[in-house]
Amino acid sequence: MNNKSIEIKKTALYEIHLKHGARMVSFAGYYMPVQYDSIIKEHEAVRSNVGIFDISHMGEFLLEGKDVIKFLQFIMINDLNLLEPSKGQYSCMCYENGTVVDDLVYYEENPECFRMIVNAINIEKDYQWLNDHLGEFDVKITNLSTKRSRVAFQGPKSDDYLQPLVDVDLSQINRFYFAHCTINDNPVFLARTGYTGERGFEISFENKFAEKVWKDLTVTGANPAGLGARDSLRLEACYSLYGHEISDAITPVEAGLSWLVKPKEGIDYIGKEILIEQKTQGTENVLVGLNLIDKGIIREKYKIFKDGDEIGFVTSGGYSPTLKKTIGLGIVKKQYKEIGTELEIKIRNKLLRGKIVSTPFYRNV
Amino acid sequence: MDYEFPDHLKYTSTHEWIRFENNIATVGITDYAQHQLGDIVFVELPEVGMVFEKGSNAAEIESVKAVGDLIMPLSGEIIEINENLADNPELVNSSPFGEGWMIRIKYSHLDEKDDLLSSEEYKQILQKEIH
Repeated sequence: MNNKSIEIKKTALYEIHLKHGARMVSFAGYYMPVQYDSIIKEHEAVRSNVGIFDISHMGEFLLEGKDVIKFLQFIMINDLNLLEPSKGQYSCMCYENGTVVDDLVYYEENPECFRMIVNAINIEKDYQWLNDHLGEFDVKITNLSTKRSRVAFQGPKSDDYLQPLVDVDLSQINRFYFAHCTINDNPVFLARTGYTGERGFEISFENKFAEKVWKDLTVTGANPAGLGARDSLRLEACYSLYGHEISDAITPVEAGLSWLVKPKEGIDYIGKEILIEQKTQGTENVLVGLNLIDKGIIREKYKIFKDGDEIGFVTSGGYSPTLKKTIGLGIVKKQYKEIGTELEIKIRNKLLRGKIVSTPFYRNV
Repeated sequence: MDYEFPDHLKYTSTHEWIRFENNIATVGITDYAQHQLGDIVFVELPEVGMVFEKGSNAAEIESVKAVGDLIMPLSGEIIEINENLADNPELVNSSPFGEGWMIRIKYSHLDEKDDLLSSEEYKQILQKEIH
Protein backbone atom coordinates (compact mmCIF):
# COMPACT_ATOMS: atom_id res chain seq x y z
CA MET A 1 0.00 0.00 0.00
CA ASN A 2 1.32 3.42 -0.83
CA ASN A 3 0.58 5.78 2.03
CA LYS A 4 2.78 8.58 0.84
CA SER A 5 -0.05 10.55 -0.68
CA ILE A 6 -2.13 10.42 2.51
CA GLU A 7 -1.55 13.42 4.69
CA ILE A 8 -1.23 12.62 8.37
CA LYS A 9 -3.40 14.94 10.43
CA LYS A 10 -2.53 16.77 13.62
CA THR A 11 -4.86 17.17 16.57
CA ALA A 12 -5.37 20.63 18.10
CA LEU A 13 -2.98 19.53 20.87
CA TYR A 14 -0.10 18.54 18.57
CA GLU A 15 2.17 21.46 19.51
CA ILE A 16 1.54 20.88 23.20
CA HIS A 17 2.60 17.25 22.86
CA LEU A 18 5.87 18.32 21.26
CA LYS A 19 6.48 20.77 24.09
CA HIS A 20 5.95 17.95 26.58
CA GLY A 21 8.64 15.98 24.71
CA ALA A 22 6.28 13.36 23.34
CA ARG A 23 7.38 10.68 20.93
CA MET A 24 4.85 11.02 18.12
CA VAL A 25 3.67 8.14 15.96
CA SER A 26 1.21 7.92 13.13
CA PHE A 27 -1.98 6.20 14.32
CA ALA A 28 -5.33 6.11 12.52
CA GLY A 29 -4.25 8.98 10.28
CA TYR A 30 -3.07 11.24 13.10
CA TYR A 31 0.25 12.09 14.69
CA MET A 32 -0.36 10.92 18.25
CA PRO A 33 1.85 10.78 21.34
CA VAL A 34 2.77 7.15 22.07
CA GLN A 35 4.68 8.18 25.17
CA TYR A 36 6.14 11.31 26.77
CA ASP A 37 8.80 9.91 29.05
CA SER A 38 8.04 6.32 30.03
CA ILE A 39 4.97 4.19 29.36
CA ILE A 40 5.36 2.52 32.75
CA LYS A 41 5.49 5.87 34.59
CA GLU A 42 2.46 7.14 32.68
CA HIS A 43 0.61 3.91 33.42
CA GLU A 44 1.44 4.20 37.13
CA ALA A 45 0.34 7.85 37.17
CA VAL A 46 -3.13 6.77 36.05
CA ARG A 47 -3.29 4.02 38.68
CA SER A 48 -2.13 6.23 41.58
CA ASN A 49 -2.78 9.83 40.55
CA VAL A 50 -4.31 11.12 37.28
CA GLY A 51 -3.29 10.82 33.65
CA ILE A 52 -4.51 13.02 30.83
CA PHE A 53 -4.75 11.60 27.31
CA ASP A 54 -5.37 13.30 23.99
CA ILE A 55 -8.03 11.15 22.33
CA SER A 56 -8.95 13.69 19.66
CA HIS A 57 -8.23 11.11 16.98
CA MET A 58 -11.43 9.34 17.96
CA GLY A 59 -14.65 9.99 16.06
CA GLU A 60 -17.59 12.04 17.28
CA PHE A 61 -20.97 12.05 15.55
CA LEU A 62 -24.19 13.83 16.38
CA LEU A 63 -27.39 11.96 15.43
CA GLU A 64 -30.52 14.10 15.38
CA GLY A 65 -34.13 13.51 14.40
CA LYS A 66 -37.34 12.07 15.72
CA ASP A 67 -36.40 8.47 14.80
CA VAL A 68 -32.96 8.40 16.47
CA ILE A 69 -33.92 5.86 19.14
CA LYS A 70 -35.71 3.65 16.63
CA PHE A 71 -32.69 3.84 14.31
CA LEU A 72 -30.21 2.97 17.07
CA GLN A 73 -32.42 0.08 18.24
CA PHE A 74 -32.17 -1.27 14.68
CA ILE A 75 -28.41 -0.85 14.27
CA MET A 76 -27.06 -1.45 17.82
CA ILE A 77 -27.04 -4.71 19.78
CA ASN A 78 -27.52 -3.10 23.20
CA ASP A 79 -31.00 -1.95 24.31
CA LEU A 80 -31.79 1.77 24.19
CA ASN A 81 -34.63 1.20 26.66
CA LEU A 82 -31.97 1.02 29.35
CA LEU A 83 -30.90 4.54 28.52
CA GLU A 84 -32.23 7.90 29.68
CA PRO A 85 -31.32 11.51 28.95
CA SER A 86 -27.86 12.47 30.33
CA LYS A 87 -26.71 8.87 30.24
CA GLY A 88 -24.39 6.98 27.88
CA GLN A 89 -24.28 3.34 26.82
CA TYR A 90 -21.53 1.07 25.51
CA SER A 91 -22.60 -1.02 22.52
CA CYS A 92 -21.53 -2.64 19.29
CA MET A 93 -22.95 -2.34 15.84
CA CYS A 94 -22.65 -5.62 13.99
CA TYR A 95 -22.86 -7.09 10.54
CA GLU A 96 -25.65 -9.52 9.68
CA ASN A 97 -23.26 -12.42 10.52
CA GLY A 98 -22.69 -11.03 14.01
CA THR A 99 -19.12 -9.80 13.56
CA VAL A 100 -18.41 -6.25 14.59
CA VAL A 101 -18.52 -3.02 12.55
CA ASP A 102 -17.38 -1.08 15.63
CA ASP A 103 -17.73 -0.82 19.38
CA LEU A 104 -18.68 2.60 20.67
CA VAL A 105 -20.43 4.72 23.27
CA TYR A 106 -23.45 6.93 22.59
CA TYR A 107 -24.91 9.48 24.92
CA GLU A 108 -28.55 10.57 25.03
CA GLU A 109 -28.64 14.38 24.94
CA ASN A 110 -32.41 14.12 24.54
CA PRO A 111 -34.68 11.53 22.88
CA GLU A 112 -34.06 13.19 19.51
CA CYS A 113 -30.34 13.88 19.81
CA PHE A 114 -27.49 11.44 20.54
CA ARG A 115 -23.74 12.02 20.69
CA MET A 116 -21.67 9.03 19.55
CA ILE A 117 -17.93 8.39 20.14
CA VAL A 118 -16.37 5.82 17.81
CA ASN A 119 -12.94 4.27 17.24
CA ALA A 120 -10.44 6.39 15.34
CA ILE A 121 -9.65 3.68 12.79
CA ASN A 122 -13.35 3.22 12.00
CA ILE A 123 -14.61 6.80 11.59
CA GLU A 124 -15.14 6.69 7.83
CA LYS A 125 -16.49 3.13 7.85
CA ASP A 126 -18.95 3.90 10.66
CA TYR A 127 -20.17 7.12 9.08
CA GLN A 128 -20.81 5.22 5.85
CA TRP A 129 -22.44 2.27 7.64
CA LEU A 130 -24.80 4.53 9.59
CA ASN A 131 -25.77 6.49 6.51
CA ASP A 132 -26.24 3.35 4.42
CA HIS A 133 -28.82 2.10 6.91
CA LEU A 134 -30.80 5.30 7.40
CA GLY A 135 -33.51 4.22 4.96
CA GLU A 136 -36.80 5.81 5.99
CA PHE A 137 -35.59 6.79 9.47
CA ASP A 138 -35.85 10.49 10.19
CA VAL A 139 -32.25 10.94 11.35
CA LYS A 140 -29.50 13.35 10.37
CA ILE A 141 -25.87 12.43 11.10
CA THR A 142 -23.21 15.09 11.53
CA ASN A 143 -19.53 14.16 11.73
CA LEU A 144 -17.97 16.45 14.34
CA SER A 145 -14.72 14.45 14.58
CA THR A 146 -12.35 17.12 13.26
CA LYS A 147 -14.27 20.09 14.68
CA ARG A 148 -13.98 18.99 18.26
CA SER A 149 -11.18 17.74 20.51
CA ARG A 150 -11.40 15.04 23.15
CA VAL A 151 -9.34 14.21 26.22
CA ALA A 152 -9.55 11.48 28.83
CA PHE A 153 -8.83 12.48 32.44
CA GLN A 154 -8.36 9.24 34.36
CA GLY A 155 -7.18 8.22 37.79
CA PRO A 156 -8.20 7.91 41.45
CA LYS A 157 -7.72 11.64 42.06
CA SER A 158 -9.62 12.79 38.97
CA ASP A 159 -12.66 14.02 40.92
CA ASP A 160 -10.50 15.95 43.38
CA TYR A 161 -8.48 17.62 40.63
CA LEU A 162 -11.42 18.41 38.38
CA GLN A 163 -14.03 19.61 40.88
CA PRO A 164 -12.50 23.07 41.50
CA LEU A 165 -12.43 23.78 37.74
CA VAL A 166 -16.04 22.94 36.84
CA ASP A 167 -19.41 24.50 37.54
CA VAL A 168 -21.19 21.21 38.31
CA ASP A 169 -21.18 18.93 41.33
CA LEU A 170 -19.23 15.91 40.07
CA SER A 171 -20.60 13.69 42.84
CA GLN A 172 -23.98 14.01 41.11
CA ILE A 173 -22.64 12.48 37.90
CA ASN A 174 -22.68 8.68 38.17
CA ARG A 175 -20.71 6.29 35.98
CA PHE A 176 -21.77 6.54 32.33
CA TYR A 177 -23.70 9.78 32.97
CA PHE A 178 -22.64 13.14 31.55
CA ALA A 179 -23.17 16.88 31.88
CA HIS A 180 -22.59 19.99 29.82
CA CYS A 181 -20.54 22.32 31.96
CA THR A 182 -17.52 24.62 31.84
CA ILE A 183 -13.85 24.14 32.72
CA ASN A 184 -12.66 27.61 33.72
CA ASP A 185 -15.47 29.11 31.60
CA ASN A 186 -14.78 26.99 28.49
CA PRO A 187 -17.82 24.91 27.54
CA VAL A 188 -17.31 21.15 27.55
CA PHE A 189 -19.21 17.87 27.32
CA LEU A 190 -18.11 15.87 30.38
CA ALA A 191 -18.88 12.16 30.81
CA ARG A 192 -17.89 9.83 33.62
CA THR A 193 -16.54 7.14 31.29
CA GLY A 194 -13.13 5.77 30.47
CA TYR A 195 -10.92 3.05 29.06
CA THR A 196 -8.36 2.61 31.83
CA GLY A 197 -10.06 0.60 34.58
CA GLU A 198 -9.76 3.64 36.84
CA ARG A 199 -12.40 6.23 37.73
CA GLY A 200 -12.31 9.27 35.50
CA PHE A 201 -13.84 11.38 32.78
CA GLU A 202 -13.90 11.77 29.03
CA ILE A 203 -14.27 15.35 27.91
CA SER A 204 -15.15 16.82 24.51
CA PHE A 205 -15.00 20.45 23.40
CA GLU A 206 -14.53 22.69 20.38
CA ASN A 207 -10.99 22.76 18.96
CA LYS A 208 -10.57 26.43 19.84
CA PHE A 209 -10.66 25.57 23.56
CA ALA A 210 -8.28 22.61 23.28
CA GLU A 211 -5.00 24.17 24.41
CA LYS A 212 -6.69 26.11 27.20
CA VAL A 213 -8.55 23.09 28.55
CA TRP A 214 -5.42 20.90 28.35
CA LYS A 215 -3.38 23.47 30.28
CA ASP A 216 -6.08 23.90 32.93
CA LEU A 217 -6.29 20.13 33.36
CA THR A 218 -2.52 19.55 33.53
CA VAL A 219 -1.78 22.23 36.15
CA THR A 220 -3.94 20.23 38.55
CA GLY A 221 -1.14 17.65 38.82
CA ALA A 222 -2.29 15.28 36.10
CA ASN A 223 0.46 13.63 34.03
CA PRO A 224 0.24 13.62 30.24
CA ALA A 225 -0.07 9.99 29.11
CA GLY A 226 0.23 8.53 25.63
CA LEU A 227 -1.24 5.73 23.55
CA GLY A 228 1.26 3.23 24.98
CA ALA A 229 -0.11 3.61 28.49
CA ARG A 230 -3.66 3.77 27.15
CA ASP A 231 -3.14 0.29 25.69
CA SER A 232 -1.45 -1.26 28.74
CA LEU A 233 -4.16 0.20 31.02
CA ARG A 234 -7.05 -1.07 28.94
CA LEU A 235 -5.43 -4.50 28.68
CA GLU A 236 -5.18 -4.79 32.49
CA ALA A 237 -8.85 -3.78 32.70
CA CYS A 238 -9.70 -6.19 29.83
CA TYR A 239 -11.53 -3.67 27.68
CA SER A 240 -11.83 -4.81 24.08
CA LEU A 241 -9.81 -3.09 21.39
CA TYR A 242 -11.23 -3.11 17.88
CA GLY A 243 -9.02 -5.16 15.55
CA HIS A 244 -7.86 -7.29 18.48
CA GLU A 245 -10.58 -8.79 20.69
CA ILE A 246 -13.40 -7.74 18.35
CA SER A 247 -13.27 -7.24 14.61
CA ASP A 248 -15.08 -8.00 11.39
CA ALA A 249 -14.06 -11.63 12.02
CA ILE A 250 -14.99 -11.92 15.72
CA THR A 251 -18.46 -11.54 17.26
CA PRO A 252 -19.20 -9.86 20.62
CA VAL A 253 -20.22 -13.23 22.09
CA GLU A 254 -16.88 -14.79 21.15
CA ALA A 255 -15.17 -11.73 22.67
CA GLY A 256 -16.87 -12.15 26.04
CA LEU A 257 -19.35 -9.33 25.43
CA SER A 258 -22.51 -11.47 25.57
CA TRP A 259 -23.94 -9.03 28.07
CA LEU A 260 -24.25 -6.47 25.25
CA VAL A 261 -26.50 -8.77 23.21
CA LYS A 262 -30.04 -7.92 24.30
CA PRO A 263 -33.27 -9.76 23.45
CA LYS A 264 -35.12 -6.51 22.57
CA GLU A 265 -38.50 -8.27 22.19
CA GLY A 266 -40.33 -7.25 19.04
CA ILE A 267 -37.35 -5.36 17.63
CA ASP A 268 -35.36 -6.73 14.73
CA TYR A 269 -31.75 -5.49 14.79
CA ILE A 270 -28.82 -6.24 12.52
CA GLY A 271 -27.06 -9.43 13.61
CA LYS A 272 -29.77 -10.34 16.12
CA GLU A 273 -30.54 -13.83 14.92
CA ILE A 274 -27.01 -15.19 15.03
CA LEU A 275 -26.01 -13.27 18.17
CA ILE A 276 -28.99 -14.50 20.21
CA GLU A 277 -28.25 -18.03 19.03
CA GLN A 278 -24.58 -17.68 20.04
CA LYS A 279 -25.56 -16.19 23.37
CA THR A 280 -27.90 -19.07 24.23
CA GLN A 281 -25.87 -21.93 22.77
CA GLY A 282 -22.31 -20.67 23.16
CA THR A 283 -19.64 -20.37 20.51
CA GLU A 284 -16.85 -22.65 19.32
CA ASN A 285 -14.24 -20.05 20.27
CA VAL A 286 -14.18 -17.91 23.39
CA LEU A 287 -12.04 -15.14 24.85
CA VAL A 288 -9.87 -16.01 27.85
CA GLY A 289 -7.30 -14.32 30.07
CA LEU A 290 -3.69 -15.54 29.85
CA ASN A 291 -0.61 -15.56 32.08
CA LEU A 292 2.81 -16.99 31.29
CA ILE A 293 4.39 -19.59 33.56
CA ASP A 294 7.73 -19.28 31.76
CA LYS A 295 9.40 -15.91 31.37
CA GLY A 296 8.65 -13.87 28.29
CA ILE A 297 6.20 -11.43 26.78
CA ILE A 298 3.24 -12.50 24.68
CA ARG A 299 1.96 -10.31 21.85
CA GLU A 300 -1.03 -10.23 19.56
CA LYS A 301 -1.26 -12.98 16.90
CA TYR A 302 1.01 -15.43 18.73
CA LYS A 303 -0.42 -18.94 18.37
CA ILE A 304 -1.72 -20.96 21.32
CA PHE A 305 -1.21 -24.73 21.54
CA LYS A 306 -2.34 -27.59 23.78
CA ASP A 307 -0.39 -30.85 23.59
CA GLY A 308 0.91 -29.90 20.16
CA ASP A 309 -2.45 -28.91 18.65
CA GLU A 310 -3.13 -25.32 17.72
CA ILE A 311 -6.15 -24.19 19.76
CA GLY A 312 -6.21 -20.42 19.33
CA PHE A 313 -4.31 -17.14 19.25
CA VAL A 314 -3.41 -14.17 21.40
CA THR A 315 -5.56 -11.10 20.68
CA SER A 316 -3.60 -8.70 22.92
CA GLY A 317 -0.64 -9.23 25.18
CA GLY A 318 2.08 -7.42 27.01
CA TYR A 319 3.64 -6.49 30.27
CA SER A 320 1.37 -5.39 33.10
CA PRO A 321 3.03 -2.51 34.99
CA THR A 322 0.54 -2.91 37.85
CA LEU A 323 0.95 -6.67 38.30
CA LYS A 324 4.56 -6.68 37.11
CA LYS A 325 4.07 -9.74 34.95
CA THR A 326 3.00 -10.80 31.50
CA ILE A 327 -0.72 -10.73 30.76
CA GLY A 328 -2.76 -11.35 27.67
CA LEU A 329 -6.13 -12.07 26.15
CA GLY A 330 -6.67 -14.80 23.62
CA ILE A 331 -9.34 -16.64 21.71
CA VAL A 332 -9.30 -20.43 22.21
CA LYS A 333 -11.55 -23.38 21.42
CA LYS A 334 -14.25 -23.59 24.08
CA GLN A 335 -13.17 -26.95 25.48
CA TYR A 336 -9.96 -25.33 26.75
CA LYS A 337 -11.50 -22.27 28.40
CA GLU A 338 -11.47 -23.47 32.03
CA ILE A 339 -9.44 -21.33 34.40
CA GLY A 340 -6.20 -23.08 35.31
CA THR A 341 -5.86 -24.89 31.98
CA GLU A 342 -2.20 -25.04 31.05
CA LEU A 343 -1.23 -24.40 27.46
CA GLU A 344 1.70 -23.31 25.32
CA ILE A 345 2.18 -20.06 23.45
CA LYS A 346 4.59 -19.88 20.54
CA ILE A 347 6.95 -16.93 20.89
CA ARG A 348 9.18 -16.74 17.84
CA ASN A 349 10.49 -20.35 17.67
CA LYS A 350 9.87 -21.39 21.26
CA LEU A 351 6.83 -22.82 22.98
CA LEU A 352 6.43 -21.20 26.38
CA ARG A 353 4.12 -22.50 29.09
CA GLY A 354 1.12 -20.41 30.03
CA LYS A 355 -2.24 -20.83 31.68
CA ILE A 356 -5.77 -19.53 31.54
CA VAL A 357 -6.65 -17.09 34.32
CA SER A 358 -9.72 -15.12 35.34
CA THR A 359 -10.30 -11.60 34.06
CA PRO A 360 -10.16 -8.66 34.43
CA PHE A 361 -6.55 -8.47 35.59
CA TYR A 362 -7.29 -5.17 37.30
CA ARG A 363 -10.22 -2.78 37.62
CA ASN A 364 -10.92 -0.03 40.11
CA VAL A 365 -14.10 1.66 38.89
CA MET B 1 21.51 14.67 19.81
CA ASP B 2 21.11 13.87 23.49
CA TYR B 3 22.44 10.31 23.27
CA GLU B 4 25.70 9.04 24.69
CA PHE B 5 28.39 7.29 22.60
CA PRO B 6 31.47 6.58 24.71
CA ASP B 7 34.64 6.95 22.64
CA HIS B 8 36.34 3.81 23.93
CA LEU B 9 33.64 1.52 22.49
CA LYS B 10 33.03 0.16 19.01
CA TYR B 11 29.57 0.16 17.41
CA THR B 12 27.43 -1.42 14.72
CA SER B 13 24.87 0.20 12.44
CA THR B 14 22.25 -2.02 14.14
CA HIS B 15 22.89 -0.20 17.46
CA GLU B 16 25.07 -2.63 19.38
CA TRP B 17 28.18 -1.50 21.27
CA ILE B 18 31.27 -3.65 21.78
CA ARG B 19 34.02 -3.41 24.40
CA PHE B 20 37.23 -5.43 23.93
CA GLU B 21 39.28 -6.85 26.79
CA ASN B 22 41.75 -9.72 26.51
CA ASN B 23 40.28 -11.18 23.30
CA ILE B 24 36.79 -11.09 24.79
CA ALA B 25 34.06 -8.81 23.44
CA THR B 26 31.33 -7.51 25.76
CA VAL B 27 28.19 -6.48 23.88
CA GLY B 28 25.07 -4.47 24.65
CA ILE B 29 22.68 -2.07 22.95
CA THR B 30 23.35 1.64 22.65
CA ASP B 31 21.74 4.50 24.51
CA TYR B 32 19.87 5.41 21.33
CA ALA B 33 18.55 1.83 20.97
CA GLN B 34 17.30 1.61 24.57
CA HIS B 35 15.65 5.00 24.15
CA GLN B 36 13.90 3.88 20.97
CA LEU B 37 12.58 0.73 22.64
CA GLY B 38 11.36 2.49 25.78
CA ASP B 39 10.80 0.68 29.09
CA ILE B 40 12.47 -2.71 28.73
CA VAL B 41 10.61 -5.46 30.57
CA PHE B 42 12.29 -8.69 29.45
CA VAL B 43 15.56 -9.73 27.80
CA GLU B 44 15.78 -13.20 26.32
CA LEU B 45 19.47 -14.03 26.36
CA PRO B 46 21.21 -16.98 24.66
CA GLU B 47 22.74 -19.80 26.65
CA VAL B 48 26.42 -19.88 27.48
CA GLY B 49 28.22 -22.13 25.03
CA MET B 50 26.04 -21.27 22.04
CA VAL B 51 27.93 -20.30 18.89
CA PHE B 52 26.60 -17.70 16.47
CA GLU B 53 27.66 -16.28 13.15
CA LYS B 54 28.11 -12.55 12.85
CA GLY B 55 24.74 -10.96 11.91
CA SER B 56 22.52 -13.53 13.59
CA ASN B 57 20.08 -12.74 16.41
CA ALA B 58 21.62 -13.52 19.78
CA ALA B 59 18.99 -11.99 22.07
CA GLU B 60 15.50 -10.51 22.00
CA ILE B 61 14.76 -7.35 23.92
CA GLU B 62 11.12 -6.80 24.85
CA SER B 63 9.88 -3.36 25.87
CA VAL B 64 6.33 -2.48 26.84
CA LYS B 65 5.58 -1.52 23.26
CA ALA B 66 8.09 -3.27 21.00
CA VAL B 67 10.59 -6.08 20.45
CA GLY B 68 14.21 -5.46 19.48
CA ASP B 69 17.07 -7.77 18.57
CA LEU B 70 20.65 -8.00 19.71
CA ILE B 71 22.60 -8.86 16.59
CA MET B 72 25.96 -10.59 16.86
CA PRO B 73 28.62 -8.01 15.90
CA LEU B 74 31.23 -10.77 15.60
CA SER B 75 31.13 -14.53 15.07
CA GLY B 76 31.93 -16.55 18.13
CA GLU B 77 30.92 -18.38 21.27
CA ILE B 78 28.84 -16.96 24.12
CA ILE B 79 31.01 -17.33 27.19
CA GLU B 80 28.96 -15.28 29.64
CA ILE B 81 25.53 -13.64 29.85
CA ASN B 82 24.33 -10.89 32.17
CA GLU B 83 22.24 -12.89 34.64
CA ASN B 84 21.15 -9.71 36.39
CA LEU B 85 18.91 -8.83 33.49
CA ALA B 86 16.54 -11.69 34.32
CA ASP B 87 15.21 -9.81 37.34
CA ASN B 88 16.31 -6.30 36.41
CA PRO B 89 15.76 -5.79 32.67
CA GLU B 90 15.39 -2.04 33.32
CA LEU B 91 19.19 -1.91 33.75
CA VAL B 92 19.34 -1.76 29.95
CA ASN B 93 17.47 1.56 30.12
CA SER B 94 19.27 3.00 33.11
CA SER B 95 22.81 1.87 32.23
CA PRO B 96 23.01 0.70 28.61
CA PHE B 97 26.84 0.83 28.49
CA GLY B 98 27.40 -0.49 32.01
CA GLU B 99 25.20 -2.74 34.09
CA GLY B 100 22.91 -3.25 31.12
CA TRP B 101 25.49 -5.23 29.11
CA MET B 102 24.08 -8.44 27.62
CA ILE B 103 26.64 -10.99 26.41
CA ARG B 104 30.37 -11.74 26.32
CA ILE B 105 31.72 -13.36 23.16
CA LYS B 106 34.91 -15.27 22.51
CA TYR B 107 35.22 -14.17 18.91
CA SER B 108 36.63 -16.44 16.26
CA HIS B 109 37.38 -14.11 13.30
CA LEU B 110 39.80 -11.32 14.12
CA ASP B 111 39.27 -9.62 10.77
CA GLU B 112 35.58 -8.99 11.58
CA LYS B 113 36.72 -6.35 14.04
CA ASP B 114 37.65 -4.15 11.09
CA ASP B 115 33.97 -3.81 10.12
CA LEU B 116 32.98 -2.24 13.43
CA LEU B 117 32.35 1.49 13.69
CA SER B 118 34.09 4.10 15.79
CA SER B 119 31.93 6.33 17.99
CA GLU B 120 32.28 9.13 15.44
CA GLU B 121 31.20 6.87 12.56
CA TYR B 122 28.25 5.56 14.57
CA LYS B 123 27.22 9.09 15.46
CA GLN B 124 27.15 10.02 11.77
CA ILE B 125 24.97 7.01 10.95
CA LEU B 126 22.57 7.97 13.74
CA GLN B 127 22.31 11.52 12.50
CA LYS B 128 21.27 10.22 9.09
CA GLU B 129 18.76 7.84 10.66
CA ILE B 130 17.15 10.53 12.79
CA HIS B 131 16.94 13.25 10.14
